[in-house]
Amino acid sequence: MHQFLRYVRLWTALARFSLVRELAFRTNFLVKIVVEMLWLAILIAFYETIFAKTSMVAGWDRYQYLFFLGFYFALGGLLETLFLENCNNFADLVRTGDLDFYLLKPMDEQFLVSCRTIDWSCAPNVLMGAGVMLAALVFGGWEFDVGRLLLFLITLVCGTGLAYGFLLLLTAASVWFMRNQSLFEMWWLFSTLMRYPREIFSGTWAYPAGLFFSFVIPIMLVTNVPAQVMMRAIEPKLVAYAAAATGVVLWASRRFFKFALERYRSASS
Amino acid sequence: MKPTLSVSDAALALPAPASPFKKYWKILRISLVERLVYRADFIVSTIFRFLPLVTSFLLWQAVFDGSQQQSLSGFDRRRMIAYLLMVQISRMFSSMPGLAGGIARDIRDGNLKKYLLQPIDMIAYLVSYRAAHKMAYIVTSALPYGLLFFLCRDVFDGWPDLLTLLAYAVSLALAFLIGFFFEATIGMIGFWFLEVTSFLYIINTVNFFVSGHMFPLDLLPPFWSHMLQLLPFQYLAYFPAMVFLEMKTGQELVIGLVMELFWAVLFIVLARVLFKFGLRRYSAYGG
Repeated sequence: MHQFLRYVRLWTALARFSLVRELAFRTNFLVKIVVEMLWLAILIAFYETIFAKTSMVAGWDRYQYLFFLGFYFALGGLLETLFLENCNNFADLVRTGDLDFYLLKPMDEQFLVSCRTIDWSCAPNVLMGAGVMLAALVFGGWEFDVGRLLLFLITLVCGTGLAYGFLLLLTAASVWFMRNQSLFEMWWLFSTLMRYPREIFSGTWAYPAGLFFSFVIPIMLVTNVPAQVMMRAIEPKLVAYAAAATGVVLWASRRFFKFALERYRSASS
Repeated sequence: MKPTLSVSDAALALPAPASPFKKYWKILRISLVERLVYRADFIVSTIFRFLPLVTSFLLWQAVFDGSQQQSLSGFDRRRMIAYLLMVQISRMFSSMPGLAGGIARDIRDGNLKKYLLQPIDMIAYLVSYRAAHKMAYIVTSALPYGLLFFLCRDVFDGWPDLLTLLAYAVSLALAFLIGFFFEATIGMIGFWFLEVTSFLYIINTVNFFVSGHMFPLDLLPPFWSHMLQLLPFQYLAYFPAMVFLEMKTGQELVIGLVMELFWAVLFIVLARVLFKFGLRRYSAYGG
């Protein structure tokens, strides 16, 4: 417990420091928000174009899909705020040998590598996504259900944990692929699988692929399970599987990260 | 024993055309060799790039299933997938990642003077460099893209006629020029404003939508569809794909190509003029 509180204090201090740094570049902060607002506007325009032609996409109606879209955007913002910049810089730390300084500090290496800075310029995305989710709930006539809300929050934590685990696995691979400077792009391409309802994976070859990315590499559960819990019929087995998968992916990613650090040769320092 | 020739050696062995383009031809060859060093990197990222494309196919299948219609704004299922595939080819020619940012950085850091001190034209150098990168990218991605097109061959009604293919080739060449000189124009703004990357982020984000990269512009409400087809961005993705699919024919095709040429010339002139006036302001700080 004492250790946990120590890390909470440390994370708070790092978050405060990141905020001070961010406020030194206020124009950059504003431009980032404008870009993200434009991106959300494009996603909504795309959504409107689709639903001008149909009333259902893979069994998701207009407002269920809008909630999914908002959740995808908010979760993406959360991951970018907390982890993406840190993970993206890891390849540079390996290549330059600056990782040595992190390894010498008296704290957990995974925490320091993946949580040391908070990208506050992405935090408004969480609010914008939450706004879209709220609009979907209101216009979709969602009836308040505290059980669903609690389950949603639990699966939101699971989804974040799952995504973090996959991000850490990609990051750890930088120890071997030291030219992997495009982790950000790789993650964006990989996370495309979280962008749409998993039911679109239907047909001869797509159905097995959908099962593969739901149950073997469960990246699609990151967004699908929380959105489903909130807007559609709850599948208890799927929720339980998502929770178990989160534990396994977090454990495996930590082991892999440790294994990668053991192979780190500190070549440039 | 006969020595084996690597891909890089083969690139260097390309015959050189006669002067005065000799030096730019050399730049193109050297840049090609540089790009071909990282072949594995190319192949891995190309495979990853298929993921958004595959999910787009599946999404549109779901939209067609949901709508229970055979055709949406003139696109049936096969046409939609064919369009999304052909847009990839358009972007292969027209996307210029890092070009504007690179020019603005050279202006800001003072590195621009390396072009001014040598008997070399910066814009011609960058065209050669970028053309080499495009060639390398097309060569290395030919196999995975070829496989993808082969797997999706049923969505095409066979090859278009020779005249359409010619018009398609022209539209792609002009797409390269518009893509290059539009980015170069944005980069030249660096002479007046030190920071252009923010502006670039906004342009690129909007471009993804208005160029027709996400979906055919015809799916938008008529007013927006017409408005976006008046802008130069459609030539970066939408127009070449529509030409290949024979959805722009006759007068529409000719007018489209003439307008594409107009935008290409406009951006070439604009980039040149901004470069000329920008050099008068340039103070070669740093470096």
